[in-house]
Amino acid sequence: MNVSGKAAIVGIGATEFSKRSGRSELRLAAEACLAAIRDAGLEPSDVDGLVTYAADTSSEIAVQRELGIPGLRFFSRVDYGGGAACGTVAHAAMAVATGQADAVVCYRAFNERSGHRFGQAGRSVRADSIGLEFSWHLPYGFATPAAWVAMQARRYMHEYGATGEDFGRVAVAMRRHAATNPKAWFHGRPITLEDHQASRWIVEPLRLLDCCQESDGGVALVVTSAERAKDLPHPPAVVTAAAQGTGPDQMMMFGYYTGDLAALPAMRRVGAELWRRSGLGPGDIRTAILYDHFTPFVLIQLEELGFCGRGEAKDYVKDGGIELDGRLPVNPHGGQLGEAYIHGMNGVAEAVRQIRGTSANQLDGVDHVLVTAGTGVPTSGLILSAP
Amino acid sequence: MTTTREAAAEPSLHDRLTELADRLAAAGERPAPPCPDAVNAAMIRNWAQALGDPGDWSRVAPPAMIQVWSMPGLVPAAPEGGPGAADRARNPADEVLRLLNENGYTGVVATDCEQTYDRYVRVGERLRSAMRFGGLTGPKKTAMGEGYFVTWRQTWYAEDGARVAEMLFRVLKFRPRERRGGSGAGGPVRPATSLDTAFFWEGAKAGELRIQRCADCGRLRHPPGPMCPSCHSVERDHVVASGRGRVHSYVVHHHPPVPGRTAPFVVAVIDLEEGVRVVGNVLRCAPDEVEIGMPVRVKFERVDDDLTLPQWIPADAPEDEPSAEPEQPALLEIPLTPTFVIATALATRDFTPVHHDTALARAQGAKDIFLNILTTMGLVQRAALAAVPGAVLKGIAVRLGVPAYAGDTLRLYAERADAATLKVRGAVSLGDHVTATVTLREGA
Repeated sequence: MNVSGKAAIVGIGATEFSKRSGRSELRLAAEACLAAIRDAGLEPSDVDGLVTYAADTSSEIAVQRELGIPGLRFFSRVDYGGGAACGTVAHAAMAVATGQADAVVCYRAFNERSGHRFGQAGRSVRADSIGLEFSWHLPYGFATPAAWVAMQARRYMHEYGATGEDFGRVAVAMRRHAATNPKAWFHGRPITLEDHQASRWIVEPLRLLDCCQESDGGVALVVTSAERAKDLPHPPAVVTAAAQGTGPDQMMMFGYYTGDLAALPAMRRVGAELWRRSGLGPGDIRTAILYDHFTPFVLIQLEELGFCGRGEAKDYVKDGGIELDGRLPVNPHGGQLGEAYIHGMNGVAEAVRQIRGTSANQLDGVDHVLVTAGTGVPTSGLILSAP
Repeated sequence: MTTTREAAAEPSLHDRLTELADRLAAAGERPAPPCPDAVNAAMIRNWAQALGDPGDWSRVAPPAMIQVWSMPGLVPAAPEGGPGAADRARNPADEVLRLLNENGYTGVVATDCEQTYDRYVRVGERLRSAMRFGGLTGPKKTAMGEGYFVTWRQTWYAEDGARVAEMLFRVLKFRPRERRGGSGAGGPVRPATSLDTAFFWEGAKAGELRIQRCADCGRLRHPPGPMCPSCHSVERDHVVASGRGRVHSYVVHHHPPVPGRTAPFVVAVIDLEEGVRVVGNVLRCAPDEVEIGMPVRVKFERVDDDLTLPQWIPADAPEDEPSAEPEQPALLEIPLTPTFVIATALATRDFTPVHHDTALARAQGAKDIFLNILTTMGLVQRAALAAVPGAVLKGIAVRLGVPAYAGDTLRLYAERADAATLKVRGAVSLGDHVTATVTLREGA
């Protein structure tokens, strides 16, 4: 059974994006979920499923209680950090396609800037299988996501001759998009390639402006069947394909021990599945929401997803290639570099707005949008389409 | 780029601190708590025994003991001078320290102590001391967290009003970094181990870089795991790697601070000759000299008794670390038994619980009880006099490093810089506990 075309995102909701929300993570989750449910023209009592990230601190039952949902028929969590983003929609789509639930809310909410900051160094390891992965790295001070990505970025530069400026072009594009998105933290604050090159080293070869923001906020999405979606107020964003994927010898951001460091095999698998399940190809995609926690992985994703060949992304992003008027506009909302870092969930919401025609940086003729989740980890992806 | 989305209605903490610091500095010198006892043979003997000091201090007190005479003791005496005297006799930096405490700068660590001696004080003398605020700098980003350096000065006078000694004391008041359990103060994060990985870390302790081998099909694998992904055997042994490899990729870490390493430092993926990869730091080489393909060899970095990390150095690096100071035997080697830590704290009249109460020390984030500064000063003096017997000390200036915990060993080294200056260094397993400059009187 294929879920393609059987489910749709019919509601989106978010809190403001800030550096200090001043509210609990559960409250952010409840606010975002309520906004999404109302946006869908539903009431909390219509919701019978909740899905979030394994990393989220607000349990499904806690959110259920706050929203006054009488009971759930479906709940699940998707693991591996930001790799969960599209996976939550994949799980929800499977649930509504198979009749396990009627209306599923996917959510992610955190105080990632004012509370627990992912960019700070890990200081201890758990005694489980993931903790053992970290144990090969943290004792060496190899302890931040920027460092883990930088290790692959260096090899990518070595293999293909990409430079720091090529990474910088991604940052410039994202900040340009954010500059005209009033919801973006960096609204009205574009940068130049010179700004990027002048920003300080975080972990060479990554500079400050290669790294996404740290943000407080929450985003939620309502998924229901394509059939029911027809009766709801907004044009649905139909789930044409949804996929999760891992690569060989998959680890949490430590894919260094076998194979090619200048690649993202988990994303390659997700891409192949999306194309196979949708029957579409890169040429059918009007805009892509590519997970941009760090700029180098936007380049590698373009290659893994087939928008260009291996090592060609540096040319693909030149001359505004991924900007609003480029060959493939990437992250019209400004991405996590420009809008906010909500673990990829805000990107899914932007894809829905592009299909509805309500984005701050609306593109014309949007039929299909590709969305990806966290890279370097087990990941997921979506193709959302106009009805 | 500013992101002021909240208007600042009240003066900022920094402005309040600056205003307070200016006011305190302008107030000048004020009386310190009284010196409760005259300079006396009993306290000197107690001090010399606790510190293991072999000197003859029958007529004058050890100079590094100067602060002991004005320590308040476990139960401070009521201050002389009537109502309000207690307030006046407080450390002039107290108000600054309190304001910092109230605003989240709850951590404190002493960083510098500089004593200068006009003359040695004689047994039987009564001393008086006074303090003044020395200054405030910050906020600064430090390895401990963001903080302010607070300085004060204390002066000791003889009965005739002549100055006998002066001290500068500086602490860092910092906002403790969020700790998520685990790692010891300053050291690297400890790896978790399991039945499947312990052999690797045991090997490192034994000076072997061990790679798991499937006992059935012979496949080498790192990181190791319980089942061979090729033949599904659960029978494992290991080979000892040659320790030779090449840099496959690397990064130079600058920010943020991480436990156990000082930025900038290099982390690399190493291709071993045996065909597996490992991750480690590249040491003994400037970060900008590292490149992909560079030949390296293993060098075991002993962190402490429990942890040794396989590390990497350029293949052509000399076997032993090139060092300005070749590994010399320590001048003094002092086992820091709990008795030593506690006896010296009490002999210096320092009753702060972190120097004698293990549970309280741990509750404050320390690994164990640790040496107090008055003792460190005394041990620097002891090392100086062991290096230059009969010298007369004019001053001791110390910069404090890692804590000297009970259970560790303090090794003191002294090196004559010139006729009047001696460099003293005290090292423990975590690194340098103290680096000191001791000035000697002319002709000594």
